[in-house]
Amino acid sequence: MTWWSIVIAAGAGTFLIRYLPLLFGTHLARGEGRLSRFLGALGLAAIAALIVLSMSDLWWQAPHWRGGVRLALGAAAVLLVQRLTPNVGLATLVGAGVYGAAGWALAD
Amino acid sequence: MNPERAISTSWRSAGQGLRESLSLVVGYAPIAFSFGVIAVQSGLTPWQAVGISLLVFAGASQFVMVAMMAAGSSGLVVLSAVLMMNLRHLFYGPALATRLVALPRRLAPWLAFGLTDEVFATAMSKGTSRPLEPAWCLGLAAGAYLAWVGGTALGAGVGAGWASDGGYVAQALDFVLPALFLALLAQAWRRARWPVVVAAAGATLLGMVWWPGHVAMLVGMLAGALVGSRRSRTQCSQEATT
Repeated sequence: MTWWSIVIAAGAGTFLIRYLPLLFGTHLARGEGRLSRFLGALGLAAIAALIVLSMSDLWWQAPHWRGGVRLALGAAAVLLVQRLTPNVGLATLVGAGVYGAAGWALAD
Repeated sequence: MNPERAISTSWRSAGQGLRESLSLVVGYAPIAFSFGVIAVQSGLTPWQAVGISLLVFAGASQFVMVAMMAAGSSGLVVLSAVLMMNLRHLFYGPALATRLVALPRRLAPWLAFGLTDEVFATAMSKGTSRPLEPAWCLGLAAGAYLAWVGGTALGAGVGAGWASDGGYVAQALDFVLPALFLALLAQAWRRARWPVVVAAAGATLLGMVWWPGHVAMLVGMLAGALVGSRRSRTQCSQEATT
């Protein structure tokens, strides 16, 4: 396989993985059955799984109490700002800023 | 609604989705920049790096793709790894459809192309408070796509002379995606849904003991959704008021 053919096949395959269920699985989402509730809960479950995955990546970069404190402070800042202002972008930026600042404050 | 008014409403929804993609743009740009840098440092030309982001548009699997290509893996092995990593996206389309007011067939391919983890999470989070317009989702995905391709181009363009200094700004950018997901969780939070969150987070954490992250995430998602599917209709209707 040439380099570009791998990239094109990867792009086409990824697209089909997203497209075919959207096209043919939509009727599964209708109604109030168990499958519909399963799909309805999938979004929240995906967000929770992504939080664990991304946080643990950061933790393993520096598995030390300082890293834990930084993560906790950053997370607390996100939740506080999101509580005060329902603005996802602002909460994200403030959380990242607090995480960066905590790294500076807790440095040796 | 007459056709002209419908088109105008769609454009307005798309514009709103594009504006609301700002949090995704902030999260995507540094990661895409890193991808561009790593791709060039792995021996790809800037055009090849941008080509991957243009055609594949699937964050984590692009990093794996470049690493495997640089290591000399065969095309079929690289392709299998990318598709295996992206298998979790199989569930996104039908789940998103539960939150859409309608799914016009002509828009479905565009919606599907932009259905990354982050776009899906943002749409589902917003979809807990109101039904979603397909055009809004397209605007959201367009913002994310532009940030992803633009960030890659920037990273690939200046990548040869750039190396992360590991400074506090770079570290702060590392926290952007976890922060985005936390904010989305807070936005979508309903008290009655805590079992879904606990099951998904717990299963992902446990899964990471045995499997790579993308597999653990798939297991966590399915565990959380299974717990969600076991709730009664009464619990679902109570959820709207908690």
